[in-house]
Amino acid sequence: MLASVKSLFRRQYQEVKAVDGVSFTIDEGELVGFIGPNGAGKTTTLKCLSGLLYPDSGIVSVLGFNPWQRKTEFQKQFALVMGQKNQLWWDLPAMETFILNKEIYEVPNEQFKKTLNELTRLLEVEEILKIQVRKLSLGQRMKCELIAALLHSPKVLFLDEPTIGLDVVMQKKMCDFIKEYNRRYKATIILTSHYMGDVKELCERVIIIDKGKIVFDGKLEEIVEKFAPQKILSVVFSKDFDLRKLEEIGEVEELDFPRAQILVSREASNAAAAELLHHFPVADLNIEEIPIEDVIRQIFSGKKIKSSEE
Amino acid sequence: MKKYWSVLKITFQEYFVYRLNFILWRFRSFVQLLVLYFLWSAVLPQGTVIFGYDQAKILTYILGTSIIRSFILASRSVDVAGEIGSGDLSNFLLRPISYLKYWFVKDIADKVLNLIFSTIEVSLIFILLRPPIIVQTNPAILFYTLIAIILGIVLYFYLSFLLSLIAFWTPENVWPPRFLAMVIIEFFAGSLFPLDILPAGIFNALRLLPFTYLLFFPLNIYLGKLTVGEIFPGLLISLFWIIVFYQLAKTLFKLGLRNYAAWGR
Repeated sequence: MLASVKSLFRRQYQEVKAVDGVSFTIDEGELVGFIGPNGAGKTTTLKCLSGLLYPDSGIVSVLGFNPWQRKTEFQKQFALVMGQKNQLWWDLPAMETFILNKEIYEVPNEQFKKTLNELTRLLEVEEILKIQVRKLSLGQRMKCELIAALLHSPKVLFLDEPTIGLDVVMQKKMCDFIKEYNRRYKATIILTSHYMGDVKELCERVIIIDKGKIVFDGKLEEIVEKFAPQKILSVVFSKDFDLRKLEEIGEVEELDFPRAQILVSREASNAAAAELLHHFPVADLNIEEIPIEDVIRQIFSGKKIKSSEE
Repeated sequence: MKKYWSVLKITFQEYFVYRLNFILWRFRSFVQLLVLYFLWSAVLPQGTVIFGYDQAKILTYILGTSIIRSFILASRSVDVAGEIGSGDLSNFLLRPISYLKYWFVKDIADKVLNLIFSTIEVSLIFILLRPPIIVQTNPAILFYTLIAIILGIVLYFYLSFLLSLIAFWTPENVWPPRFLAMVIIEFFAGSLFPLDILPAGIFNALRLLPFTYLLFFPLNIYLGKLTVGEIFPGLLISLFWIIVFYQLAKTLFKLGLRNYAAWGR
């Protein structure tokens, strides 16, 4: 309260860098996942790539264009879909927005009909095109948003949280659709999502961004290798013994006799497994990677993670 | 060009969804017009002359401003400020469409609908009340009036668009400057009284500013008070201001975009 009165008289402004030194190159036809905690700079980066934000410094080039110049030839080849807000006309059926977009993007009649048919079939929305948008459910609206954005068959697609608010069935369908679109049109897609599930299913390559900086850029599997210096030995014992002895093998993460999970360093995992088999009453043993969700959660929560390369 | 035709169509469709809203809005302006008419015919009995205007002229001026201001001093582009503040502007920046043209087309849709209704209303008043109003029949004068009104519409469109662009820099302070600007614009446009009752020096200075060309100038042409030698310089001055405001709107829009943060997403 006092602060808001104070702000009547003197406002303090603070400069915050939303993204800083974010550099990456994406090849044609790639499907890249862009992940990071809330406020990491994902959407900001997408906005720069779409020409909505003017970068104070640095170079942005998409399809050889500077997005900021918003050239018609560029705009006809890309689309940005944001899960939060809509371009659909709220009071009219979605079909009207589609027709408007057809004219705005100057899509020929035949192509429009063909694309619309394909998209409505793939997303199963044939029956709702004539219903006022305000009366649609969130999921139905999301699908119509996607159609509106894809009618001009963009070659480059930025999807910001495309599965937000969708149920699991729809989420799966949306993912299948994105995969299919990428395959069929050889489209280049960048996708941000909070659900690791989406990213795991869709993207080979992942860029992790945190506090405006790129933390990781590479294959999804490599995340675990790079950020998790340890592996998990998952053991089931056959009979009772002195459990304290387990500490000699490695860090006991979970112990619920007869089951135990022990963290050991990546390099020593084989030796540790052999040690366990020789000296303990082992019934079953597995060497596992730390689940990717846990690794990323660790990265996001800002814990110091020792990179295995160091 | 076809894309803007599409915008026109979809805007009409949107109005039809809100038809009751629109009809009530028209009814309100109809009642306002009647109130204005009855008030001023009571205040000015036949034979009164004020500021060199007789009853018929002043009634024509007052009713005339009330009618044409609903066309000229009304632009949907007030909503531009909201779109900038909410980030909805992004939808347009992503697509190959000119934002300025888009809003101009929306205004055209708005004006066409209002024109249809207001023609019906004015005809009704004429049939029912037979007001002592000057009916201009000279086709040349009517033509100049029409041109002046169209220029006024375009002029106000850019002016209003410019006022909305403030939102780029201070989205929370859009309304106060607009209110202030409207008070000034209405006064100098002559919506309160005919401006030529002001001292000649002030009046002549005002003629160089854009505002008189919004209401006073077209009405004065209609009333037959201006010669062709006075009409043409006036049209040129308002054209000059249109070009100035158009350039300003374009430049400030570009500058504003550098400040735009595509909020709310």
